[in-house]
Amino acid sequence: MSTSASKAVDIKTDTLWCPTGHSHDGIATKTLGFWLYMLSDAMIFTTLFAAYMVLSHAFNAAGGPTITDVAHPVYAYGETALIFSSVLSYGFAMMALKRGSRKGVIVGISIALLLGIAFLCADGHETALLFSQGADPERSGFLSAFFSLVFYHGLHVVVGVFWMLVMIVQVASMGFTDKVVYRLLNLRLFWHFQAVIWVFMYTFLYLRGLIA
Amino acid sequence: MTHPTHKAFKHPEVQLANMGYVVAYVVSMVLMGLSLILVKDHMLSSMRLAEAILLSAAVVVIVQGVFLLHMNLSHTQIWHTFALVLFIPLFVLAIGLTAWMFHGLYKRTMIVPIMKAMPAVQGSMAPVIAPKR
Repeated sequence: MSTSASKAVDIKTDTLWCPTGHSHDGIATKTLGFWLYMLSDAMIFTTLFAAYMVLSHAFNAAGGPTITDVAHPVYAYGETALIFSSVLSYGFAMMALKRGSRKGVIVGISIALLLGIAFLCADGHETALLFSQGADPERSGFLSAFFSLVFYHGLHVVVGVFWMLVMIVQVASMGFTDKVVYRLLNLRLFWHFQAVIWVFMYTFLYLRGLIA
Repeated sequence: MTHPTHKAFKHPEVQLANMGYVVAYVVSMVLMGLSLILVKDHMLSSMRLAEAILLSAAVVVIVQGVFLLHMNLSHTQIWHTFALVLFIPLFVLAIGLTAWMFHGLYKRTMIVPIMKAMPAVQGSMAPVIAPKR
């Protein structure tokens, strides 16, 4: 700045901003901002888990299906494998980005994308089966809380899949510009965060409920 | 602000990517599989099972936090880590306060449904509740 600390600032003559512009680390600023957004999203998951916790008592099932009827942990372990493998594949895409390999990034994200779609199919199939058996969100408070979590998590995977599709196109057409790179980094945060969320989903929805 | 450096993939956050992703994958798959086997075959008492799967989930989350989300104290990542640490009390408060509220609520309002579930108790409980009304 042009004013020394000892002299009073005269706003008519002194320049109060840096005329040449700051050289912020744009990428780091954006990933931190996005990380804070992801943590806010984690707060929504927290409230949904809190609601599930208090609505998972047997009397909230209102005489309808209980957790042992709707949770199939072996099937859900298959979903676990799909989501974790997708996250790993995105990790490999990030290692390719480190080398500056456009092809590696596109292949890595494409596999992550396909595994994400496979997860959605598995999730959708399970949900459709439960609905056909009369276990839908309107049946009881317990099922409302259960499906809120399942759908909210599924929505994240849908968003991730579309985002990956967009990034494949952008990497192919634009290359590794600053904008493309920070978007790839934000998508990494988003997608890898889904692995952490799934650990809670699997443990508290699919495993915890089967312990009498 | 984004400056067209054309060397964006040299950014430190890009350079964070490493084989730790494989470590996170293997640990996650093995521990979640272990939890599944324990629960499926009821290999422990209910209380011990609940503790075991909680411990397993905690280890997986920490491993994923370190190896996938790069939670560390490096110059690049310290604010990410710090933000997460500041959020932990919020997670605990949201879960804890909800549990506390509903624990009290259920104790006061869920007497009738519980009695319906346990008809044997109904006779002995009824006179106790009646004077309060």
